[in-house]
Amino acid sequence: MIRGKRGREEIGWRRSRGTGEMSDLDRQIEQLKRCEPLKESEVKALCLKAMEILVEESNVQRVDAPVTVRSPLMDPFFSAFPPFPSAISLPRNVCSVLVRLPPICSEICGDIHGQFYDMKELFKVGGDCPKTNYLFLGDFVDRGFYSVETFLLLLALKVRYPDRITLIRGNHESRQITQVYGFYDECLRKYGSVNVWRYCTDIFDYLSLSALIENKIFSVHGGLSPAITTLDQIRTIDRKQEVPHDGAMCDLLWSDPEDVDGWGLSPRGAGYLFGGNVVTSFNHSNNIDYICRAHQLVMEGYKWMFNNQIVTVWSAPNYCYRCGNVAAILVLDENLNQQFTVFEAAPHESRGVPSKKPAPDYFL
Amino acid sequence: MADWDGASDGDLKAAGAEPLSDGRRGLRLKGWHIESIKRPILGSLARQELEEKLGTSHLPEMVFGDSSLFLLHAGTGIKLHFNAFDALKGWMQEALPPVEVPAAAKWKFRSKPSQQVILDYDYTFTTPYCGSETSESELEKTILEDGCCSLHWEDCDERIDLAVLSMKEPILFYDEVVLYEDELADNGVSLLTVKVRVMPSCWFLLLRYWLRVDGVLMRLRDTRVYCSFASDDKVKPTIIRENCWREATIESLSVQGFPSGSAAYADPNLISQNLPIVKNKTQRLKIPSSLSEHDGGNFNASKKQL
Repeated sequence: MIRGKRGREEIGWRRSRGTGEMSDLDRQIEQLKRCEPLKESEVKALCLKAMEILVEESNVQRVDAPVTVRSPLMDPFFSAFPPFPSAISLPRNVCSVLVRLPPICSEICGDIHGQFYDMKELFKVGGDCPKTNYLFLGDFVDRGFYSVETFLLLLALKVRYPDRITLIRGNHESRQITQVYGFYDECLRKYGSVNVWRYCTDIFDYLSLSALIENKIFSVHGGLSPAITTLDQIRTIDRKQEVPHDGAMCDLLWSDPEDVDGWGLSPRGAGYLFGGNVVTSFNHSNNIDYICRAHQLVMEGYKWMFNNQIVTVWSAPNYCYRCGNVAAILVLDENLNQQFTVFEAAPHESRGVPSKKPAPDYFL
Repeated sequence: MADWDGASDGDLKAAGAEPLSDGRRGLRLKGWHIESIKRPILGSLARQELEEKLGTSHLPEMVFGDSSLFLLHAGTGIKLHFNAFDALKGWMQEALPPVEVPAAAKWKFRSKPSQQVILDYDYTFTTPYCGSETSESELEKTILEDGCCSLHWEDCDERIDLAVLSMKEPILFYDEVVLYEDELADNGVSLLTVKVRVMPSCWFLLLRYWLRVDGVLMRLRDTRVYCSFASDDKVKPTIIRENCWREATIESLSVQGFPSGSAAYADPNLISQNLPIVKNKTQRLKIPSSLSEHDGGNFNASKKQL
């Protein structure tokens, strides 16, 4: 990997950026936080910048719990230029720690599905980025009313704080799925053309497929694949494409854990069902503590399975504005001690729509 | 969508309707107590209990097991109600073979892991459910125990009066209750809902099971129930029920020139008339004559339990 090189470049890039550009991005973030979409030209520029960052990320993106390695070099006030000859390749995260104060904790979030105001609740309970390190497990778009604002805010934060927020791909980050489940229509409605949908779906192809926290927690949107036994096999996938209908990349985004022995097939299509013994052997061969995934609605916000070897995290409270479920995020401290923060949907007063009472219709 | 603040006081008063108090949704009108209950989806524990009760390990992703709609007639004690549990019992009994999605068909040709299980239950949760009916009356319970003529539906030639329903009478109560829903793991939608509207002259409801398996199939099972208010609310009400089942493959629709992409089928109302009818039946609720003499005393008792 060329992480070290990337890290160095990133520092240089950040320092050289003019204040004008920075304040533009900050202004856009503030605008998006008010749930106001960006102009089409701004979306295009943002996507281009995001692409530069995402293209460098591994298919198994490394994420650090806060203050990972104890060393004198970790002095947060250490200058932006590490005292290493450029020939030495530093892991990216080491460089990152050098240029900023360590975050308070790392938080893993499941599906959001365009529920913008509920994501604001998430940031309210989880803390603001960049003070908190965030890992989002995909499914930012579709089904909710604000997929555009939700995805663009996350993307803008990614560009602004590239190593404080990690976005990985969910099965809804796909051209085909977004045309059926809402994001395409929303872009068309809000912009009058599908250009924004095109920019965003092009970015989807660059999103990483999984993340590895401190080498101990493997995070992915859906789950495991019979084609994958080691993390290195994931690293070799050519991910820059639309989500395929089958194969390892598809499975990572679509599979579900289920009480089966080994692998299960559902008649209803993409992804596999995988049993406890599959998880045990995957965790053992890759020396990881547990798998953290999203993809399935859980009423309580999170759900452990198979003797705490895998956990599902769900971060869309009152899913589809009618399920009445709570949502959760997984909070990790620097020793990877875990805790779940459970939160509820944003109160009605704080969101624009929808109305509580359905308008009556003279249905027949 | 515009907010609806409910029916106006004037309309309610003119019709003699009494809205339910304490934040409950519904009203009392012409001898009927009509109420909808909307609760969150079942949590993990309640799901487990439901699985055990039904004898299955599969349930729709979203089961609104504590939500329901019911309509209780004071004069006879009959109660029509709509709930997820009875609907899922129907799904278990019908037990259709699974619908295969295109991706799954392709899988048959792909290399398979050594250990694998193929789940073959009806993951669409298709149900023949068209509502439940019980009697709140002690008299009826005695009859049921005796095993003679109980409450049941019988075929009839009457039809639901669409002309009356097309009149824009003020709506005194309206609600929609989702009973269960499944996203078919993002391969479509399976949705069971019941909508009700109450007007000064009648009530009308639509229980709809809607299935779309992307790229494969659309299925619509509608149950419409209609009751025109009698002049005397002690009289046995006339309740008419129409079942209409429609179904078409996406392939057959695209042959007729309809789109084959699922995006075109987000709203079943837009396509329902183009789906061929596979079953159609009209029935009338047969109420044992002994019930019409019922004086409503038990209704008052049951009201307290509600």
